[in-house]
Order: sequence, then structure tokens, then C-alpha cells
Amino acid sequence: MNMLQRQSPVRFSARPVKTEVRDGWTVVLEYAAQGDGLHLIDLSHRAKWDLQDGDLSRFDIAGTPIPSAPNTCTLKNGTAVCRRNRTQALIWHLAGDPPELPEDPALTDVTEASLLAALTGPNIYDVMEKICSLDLKDPAKTTPRLIQGPALHVPCLIMDLGRMGDRDVVLIACSRGYGRDMTEGLLHAGAEWNMAPAGETAFTRLFDI
Amino acid sequence: MNRLTHLPTLRIRPESRRDIHYRGKAHPAAAGDTIATALYANGVRIFGRSLKYHRPRGLYSLDGECSNTTMSVDGVPNVRTETVPAKAGMTVKAQNVVGSAERDLLGFMDALSFAMPAGFYYKTLHKPAPVWPLAINRIRKQAGLGAIAPGFKITGVFDELYPRADVCVVGGGPAGMCAALASAEAGLRVILLEARPWLGGFFDYRAAAHPGGGLLYERARELADQVEKAPTIRVFTSAAMTGAYHDNLITAVQQGGDDDPFDSRYLQIRAGAMVAATGCIERPLLFENNEKPGVMQVGCAHRLARTWGLMPGEKIAFSVGHDLGLEAALDLAELGGRVVCVADIREDGQDPALAAALADRRIPYLKGWVAAEAQGRPTLKRAIFSTITGTVQKEFSCDVLVASAGFTPVTGPLDTAGARLAYDNHTGFFLPTDLPPKTHAGGRIMGLQDPLSIETSGRLAGLRAAVDCGKRVDDAVRESETALASQPGPERGSKLVTAPVKGKKTFICFDEDATLKNVRQAMAQGFDVPELIKRFTAAGTGPGQGGIPGHNLPLFVAQTTASPDKHPRPTTVRAPLVPPLMAEYAGTNHDMSKRTPVHDSQAAAGKMERIAVWNRARVFSKSKGARAEIENVRTNVGMLDASTLGKFRIFGPDAVKALQRVYAGDMTKIPSNRMKYAAMCNDDGCLLDDGVIVKQGENDFYFTASTGRAGQTVEWFRFHTKYENWDFHLVNLTDAYGVINLAGPNARKVLEKVADADVSNDAFPFMGYREFTVNKTILVRAMRLGFVGELSYEFHVPSSWMQALWDILAEAGAEFGIQNFGLEAQNTLRMEKGHVIIGSESEQRTNLLDLGLGFLWDRNKPEAKTVGAVALRQTEDQKGRLKLVGFKMTEPADRPPKDGSPIVDDRIRGYVCTARYSHTLDMPVGMALVEDELTPEGTRLAIFEDGCEGNLIHGEIVPMPFYDPDGKRMRM
Repeated sequence: MNMLQRQSPVRFSARPVKTEVRDGWTVVLEYAAQGDGLHLIDLSHRAKWDLQDGDLSRFDIAGTPIPSAPNTCTLKNGTAVCRRNRTQALIWHLAGDPPELPEDPALTDVTEASLLAALTGPNIYDVMEKICSLDLKDPAKTTPRLIQGPALHVPCLIMDLGRMGDRDVVLIACSRGYGRDMTEGLLHAGAEWNMAPAGETAFTRLFDI
Repeated sequence: MNRLTHLPTLRIRPESRRDIHYRGKAHPAAAGDTIATALYANGVRIFGRSLKYHRPRGLYSLDGECSNTTMSVDGVPNVRTETVPAKAGMTVKAQNVVGSAERDLLGFMDALSFAMPAGFYYKTLHKPAPVWPLAINRIRKQAGLGAIAPGFKITGVFDELYPRADVCVVGGGPAGMCAALASAEAGLRVILLEARPWLGGFFDYRAAAHPGGGLLYERARELADQVEKAPTIRVFTSAAMTGAYHDNLITAVQQGGDDDPFDSRYLQIRAGAMVAATGCIERPLLFENNEKPGVMQVGCAHRLARTWGLMPGEKIAFSVGHDLGLEAALDLAELGGRVVCVADIREDGQDPALAAALADRRIPYLKGWVAAEAQGRPTLKRAIFSTITGTVQKEFSCDVLVASAGFTPVTGPLDTAGARLAYDNHTGFFLPTDLPPKTHAGGRIMGLQDPLSIETSGRLAGLRAAVDCGKRVDDAVRESETALASQPGPERGSKLVTAPVKGKKTFICFDEDATLKNVRQAMAQGFDVPELIKRFTAAGTGPGQGGIPGHNLPLFVAQTTASPDKHPRPTTVRAPLVPPLMAEYAGTNHDMSKRTPVHDSQAAAGKMERIAVWNRARVFSKSKGARAEIENVRTNVGMLDASTLGKFRIFGPDAVKALQRVYAGDMTKIPSNRMKYAAMCNDDGCLLDDGVIVKQGENDFYFTASTGRAGQTVEWFRFHTKYENWDFHLVNLTDAYGVINLAGPNARKVLEKVADADVSNDAFPFMGYREFTVNKTILVRAMRLGFVGELSYEFHVPSSWMQALWDILAEAGAEFGIQNFGLEAQNTLRMEKGHVIIGSESEQRTNLLDLGLGFLWDRNKPEAKTVGAVALRQTEDQKGRLKLVGFKMTEPADRPPKDGSPIVDDRIRGYVCTARYSHTLDMPVGMALVEDELTPEGTRLAIFEDGCEGNLIHGEIVPMPFYDPDGKRMRM
């Protein structure tokens, strides 16, 4: 038996040139010819928690309280915390080593439940406009923010991180089972801007800029 | 044809040439040409033949207002060639012709028009009765514009876009541009839709003076430049609006140009407010043969010359009812055209400067005259003019007759938005009187013709839209209102609809070959309002979407004394306002479906099937009825991917209360390390879902739902607890876990090889729940179930580990000959065991008791607090319900009936749910829902199969389960 490996819901046809094995995941850090244009990055392996409680104000995640208003987010130390509704928040560990899941029944590890992908670079809002009717181009928006709605007719959580370093960044999450079709749909929508799969480093480096 | 290449208004680039193919020849087109203008430039005058009478048809509006120029392009029928750009290599064919457009063998149909009066389809050839089926086939074969090959597959890139805006302005003419600029100045995001490939509207091609200085086309370009530079205005050209829906959802279809990455694009815009600035089209002048090739609208002739550099003909006659017609006649003469006469419907009211200019050019100018007949075959050779009273006639030789009765506003966008229109006697227009909230109109659509008024009106509409979006621009609104009040208002419009003719071949609707005579015939038969006449004559129901007859029909009806309706009302306009391709609505059409974590290995080995949102493996073996897979599970060990099961966590102090509410059983008694099988009912006690629940901590449970219900489970809990202030939470883990069903007498032997735990029958008994690792790495939730009736385990494993676990089990089971099994095998296996699948053995009337699952209902629970319990109590002894029974086949005894077959005697008494040949039992067996009198064992069932031609087949009620009735194999 070979070493046991975990699998992402995403399959890119691009050739990985740099990989890293992390907790059973083979994480692609860089793909061949990924360039520095419009990127689609698979972050499904990143730890994701669901937090539900009648009193979310008692929680402090990554040194930040849960935002008080629905659909608002904080992004600190590589961890995004978003308020979904009165009793629910989501926590995505986007960079660095993920912490252990605290021993609190309010938290559920939902890393495996969803596809998580990042769109970075120019034209990401143009791509999103082709796949969903959600208003990501609203000039009055403040980022980071959470938008809950359909993309490619699939229920999604879309986190608009706004400008990070030299790139615009949008994260999109949906049920894991849709992972393949969602990423193929995104690449198809982004083809006119030469969207390419990129490795995780293309995303995590943005936290260092 | 030589082009006028020196004009500053041109929108073509002759130096950029491409060829299109028509009638086997390559025809050069310039960049900027539409297919129609390119063909016209190459001498094509007849573009196709009409629907019923096969009359030749030519260029008429240049905006696709009728089907005259719809053609087949690259195999796509009914392409509106007036609006589609000519692209290199296009192959264009005329439609509705036998032979060629010029020589159509069915042209004789025109002489048979007497046999096709209004409504002939409803009356002619209906008697004697046997004739009609033959006639209808012939008529249907003959009728219809364009044909599509059954196997035709459209090519091209059909994109879609869902932009948002504060204000959506429909119409990129002067009013629309001013509206967009006004909204943008207020700091709003604006989308400007323009059906033509450029902004400018009716300023774009006109060289007349603008009252503010300069020429109209210069003003158009100035405004367009401002729009292009405005950072918050997005312009979509070649984008025709198709409809307006609730809450300012506006749809449009955009044609791709040479540099666009799409051929066509569906736009769905959500806006805060809408401004309609769609201007006017010309109201066609009705006279004999008014659709003969060579007859065209004023804008068509004028734009041919000014926009595409094509003089429309050698000898051009005019019959118009407005100053724009006079201006066009003068301009064509200025450009070198030979204008043989200008007939003006109006006796007075013309711009005296235009009348004087016509006199200066010695162009015969006939006030109070109108074209009465177009003559010539197949194209126009001469035109007969008469006074509007018909008392005097004159004939002019011409090859182009430019004809227009007046204007009519393009009200489709307002119509679909829900506006009300009323006839205005001054302008002769249907004007909006009651606009829906956050909907505005400006420009010519309001009856204005003066350029400054049009611009001010547009600006005012844009500012009012800004107010709707919360902008404080009240002062600017007042300023614009004041300015507009001081500028020229709506002009008196021409009321004339038809020349003094009998109307035999005076076409009110080109698309449907509907004439004035047809309308009169309809009215004579009692159809006295336009909506009814429209349906009886088909006028306005063609691909032009009512563009040609839209407003003429109600005006004509109102002017006809036979009509009691003296107040014209337009017929209803519905989306789509222009005819889009189905491919445009389909867009990119990503087929979104879910894959399980082991999809690739399943697809590589088996035959996949789409079931609701999931892709699942139906069979792996080639044996009939998945026999090999079934026998392997019964005698050895098999693996099934059951990842599509719904999986949920429920936790919180009130979690048990919530479970008690939605499940029929007692959920307070869920022991640790054991599963509880439970069912959910709806308020009628009918089975909705089933699954197992395990306790994983204090007030913390993990439960499963059927695949089909997984998407609704959370909402079901919330709906039935919405009035309780309970503290519980649900997490949907359906996609977080993959599920492997390991089943068969050798299942434990396989598991023992890989599990890091004691899985003996004592340590892990039937209905037990355990958590352990496999290969010291993969943590699994293991449930010992028996859905297929054998020793069986379900492993719930984090999805990313699913393939690894599958491979581990496959490797461990190799020595036993482990095999995959799919849904077909599972279906037979569970049926043999008498286990139901919701939806297969149940329908919306089937409750728990009907299925023999009454043991899942705890009768001691308070009924009012359990969904479905009241109904279950009430139906417990109810007669006449369909009950689930097992049966075996007797006649024939070697095959099962088809699923769904009715069970009958003198009436329908039930139906077959699932029936299969059981290789385990070596006989065909099945489950059926039958009336309770038929349930006793030994009852003979008569089964009617689809296609049996009255030869019923028979079965006999037998006890269930068919296989292992004592359940020993599940507990082994």
C-alpha cells in the first residue's frame, strides 16, 4: 500500500512543478506556466470551521471577536472570520498552520464539506459577473465581506477580500461535490482573460505583502 | 454597388473586407456591414418570400422590425440579417422559397390568397372530417418561416453576464445618453443598452442642424464621447432589450462584434431604476403592395446612405407624413440621389424651410397626397400616388418608394415593465400615462421631436431615476423641469393609417401576410377589438414581435366604424421584445452536478448515471440485472459508494426536542454506541425520509437522511421549530463525509484486516456504532446496518480520505474476490429484503402504517408535538388505503412486470412499485401498493403492463421479506 493520501475535490489539468505533503494532502504550491495573471487557486485543503451558538459574542477567534453584523468579516493573521447570521459564523484558516479545533461543541470542522477556491488578479470581478448576479462590483463595498448566494446556479459562500497586496482576491466556497464543475465553470468564464490554475503560494504570498 | 465613402456619418470601414456567401457566390462586405446591408450592396433586392403567399420581400426597416429579411445563416434559421453583423465566411440562404428568392416556384400562392381569408385555418377543410387530418399536415408543412435540420447543432460562443447597476437606461440615442450622463453625474452606476452597434440614435446619421449649434450627428458623437468617458457608465451596444421583470430585472441579448470573445451574450441586469429612452420607429404606411421589394421606411433609406454609404435606388419616390421624411428626401438628393417626388400626407404643418428646399431642388412636392399602390414584378417599378381622399392619381416611375405614415413610440420596454399606455390625440402616439415605480421615460418616446427637448427630457428622466436611487438632486430635477417647459413640446402627429385603397394586398402585418382585407373580414365576423383580431388574423404574432402592425392595428380598428371601440388601445406586448435564440437563453449552460469523492474510480469501472444532482454508479458488471454483483454480495463481499446520503450534526441544549418534533419515534432513547433507525413524516403522516441517528455526545447527534431529502433537511427542522425558542444548531455534513457500504458474508473478514479495533460480532453487533481508525490513519464512523440484507457496514469517512479507504478495503478484500456493486444491484438486494426506498415504494399518499413501518412511530409521544402523529392516529384504522405488499409472478413466472404497472380488476386497484427477477430466490418478485382488500396472502393480482394490448399478467401475494425473513444474515 502506498502512503495514504487525501484528495481535493478539484482536478486541474495543469502540471504541478512544486508540491508539498501536508497532513496527508499533496498541496500544489506552483503549477507550470501559471504566470502572474488571473489565477484560480484550490484552497480546499485549508481548515474551515463552522461556529454556531446562541451567543457568538463570547467567542474570540484568532484574537478577533466575531463580527456583529451578518455578512461582515475580519481577516487577521491569515484567518477570516465571517458572520453568516444571528447564530452562525464561519472561520477559514487561509494562511499559516491551522490551529487545533478547540474543544467547544459550538465548533464543527467543515474542512471536508466544501470546495474553497481563490480567484486572484485582474478581472476577477468580471469573471464573477459572468457566473453570478451578486453585486461584487459595488463601489460602495467595504472588504472583506461575505456574500451568500448562487454562482453557476450553485449555492455559494463568496468572500470578497478586496485588494491584497497587488491583487484583487475573491474566495468562493460551495459543496464539495460541485468542486469539479465549479472550477471548470470558473476557468471557462475566465478563459477570455487567460485565467490559469495557480499553486497555493500564489495566494499565501499575498499575506506577506 | 459603389459606396458613398466620403460621408462623416459612415459606420463602415470599406478597407476591412470580408466575404459572405449567398447563392454560391462570395459577396464582399465591409466591416460594419450587417448581412442585409452587405447583400444590398451586392445588388440583392429580394431577401426571401412571405409566409403564406410567397410574395417577394426586401429591405424595409434595417432594425429587424419584420421578417422580410430573416434568413438562414450558417444553418440557423430566422436570423434577423438587418441587425446581425456580416462576418467572414458566413453562408446565407433565403427562406421559404422553392427555387430561389427571385424565382420561387410557390410564388403562385399569391394568386390563391382568396382561398385563405382571415381565420381560414379554423374553418376551411374541416368538413368532411377525414379531410382535415390530411390538410393540417399539408398546411403545417407549408407554413412557417425557416427550417431547422433535426440534427442541427448550433455553433458559437453564447455567453452570459449578470451585471448590476443603479440605473439602467434602455436606448442609446440622445435622450438615453443624456439620461445616463445625468444619473452618472449624481454618482450612480449606470448601464446603457443600445440595440444598434453604436450610440447616437436618430441623431447619428442626420446632417441637419442642431438647435444648440453644429450638426445632429456631431452632437451624437459629442454625447457618445462624454458617455464613453464617464467612469460609472457601462455601455452595451448591439444589445437589444428582451424584457423587464419584477424589481427592475432587465434582460437583453447582445450580438458579439469582430473583437468580442462571444458570438452572442445574454444580459440579465438588476437595476435600482430604469429609464426607457427607446425613441420611435416609423408607423408603416398602408397601401396596395406596401411590402414590395423597393418599398422601405424613411430611416431605412436615409441610414442606408448615411450610415452604410449605399444609395437606396436610382429613382426614389417618397410618401411621408413627417418632416423627417422631407429631410431625408433632401439629404438623399444632396448626396446625389434622384428624388422623383415627395408626397406628404399633411396638408399643412410642415417645416416651411424644408418645403422651400424641395422647391429649390425642383422636386415635385405633393401636399395631401399619399402612395396608393406599388407596382412592378418582382420588385418595384412604379408607384401610384393619390390624394388622401383618393380623388386624383399620379404615377411615378421609381425603383425605391420611401414610405412612412408617421412615428410611433417604441413602448415595448415600458409595456413589459408594467406601464399603462393611452392614446394621445395630439401626437397620435400611445404615450405612457402610468409608469411603474422606479421607471422613467424620456425623449421621443414621450412624443418629443425637438432635439433640445429630447435631450432635456432624457436628462430629467436620468435625474428622476437618481432620486429613486436615493440621490438628492431635487434642484437639478427642478431645473430640468423648468427647461423642458420652455422648450418645444410634442408635435402634432400624422393620424393617417391607410391610403384610400380596398386593401386586398395592403399588408398590415408582413410576417403573417395579414392584410387590411383580412382585418375587415375578422371584424365582419364579430372580432371587434384588436386583441381578438390579432389572434384571428395572426397579425403581430410573427418574429417581428409586432413591430410593423403594433400600433397600426388598433388605430385602424378604431377608425373603422364597425368597431364599438373608438378609443384605440395597443395590443399587449410581451417579452421577448426581440426574438432571441434558444442558445442565447441557454448561455454557457454549465451542467452543474455533484461528484462523490470516489467518482473517478467509480466512473472508470462502472456505468454512471445522473440522479438528481449526483453522479452515481448504476452497474459495474455486464451481467443482466447486475446478477454478478448481487450474487457476489449474497455469497461473498461487495462495496457500494453511498456518499450521497445526507449527513448532519445536530447539537445544542434543545437538540433532542427538535429531533422529537420531526421524527415519529422516541428520540429521547438513543443509547450510546447504538444507532436508532427513525422516520420523518409530513403533517399527513406520509413518509418523508428515513435514516439513522447516533449519539456522539451530550445533546450532540449525528444523523443521516436519504439522498433526495438531504437538501431540504435543515429547512425542515427549522420550519417545524420556527415558533419555538429552542437552542439547537444543525450542520450539513453531507459533502464532508464519503460513505462506503461494505456488505456480504465476508465483510467482517475484510474489515478485520484493516480496522484498528475489535470488530467481532460481540464487540460490534448489529445496529452498533463505532469510531475507529483504519491503518492507524483514517478515522471512520462505522455503522453496522443491513439495508441489503447481509452482514453489512457503513463507513463514514472524511471525503478527502474516501478514495484511500476505498483502495484499502479493495486491497484487503482482494483475496476474497471483493467487487464493486452499484445502484441496480442494491435495488434488487434491498427489495429481496423488503426494505423500502422512499419514492419507489411510497408516494405522497403513503404513510408509515401503509408501509408496515408503524413500529417507527412512538404512540406515547404527545401527538401535537410530533409532525404527522395526528394524521397517523386518524388513519390507523382507515379503510381503502393502499398498503405495501410483496408478490411473486405466476403468469408468466419467468419475468417481473414493469415498475409502475397498474394492478387492476374492473378498475385500478394499486400499482407495482419495484419488481425484479431475484436470482437469489430464482423467481421474479416485487413490491406493490394495493388496496387493503387485496393484501391477504395468496390473493391473485392482475397486472396491466404498458403495451400489453389487454393481455394481463398475474402475480400472487406472498409474505415479505422474501429473503432471510428472520434477519439472521444481518446479525451473523
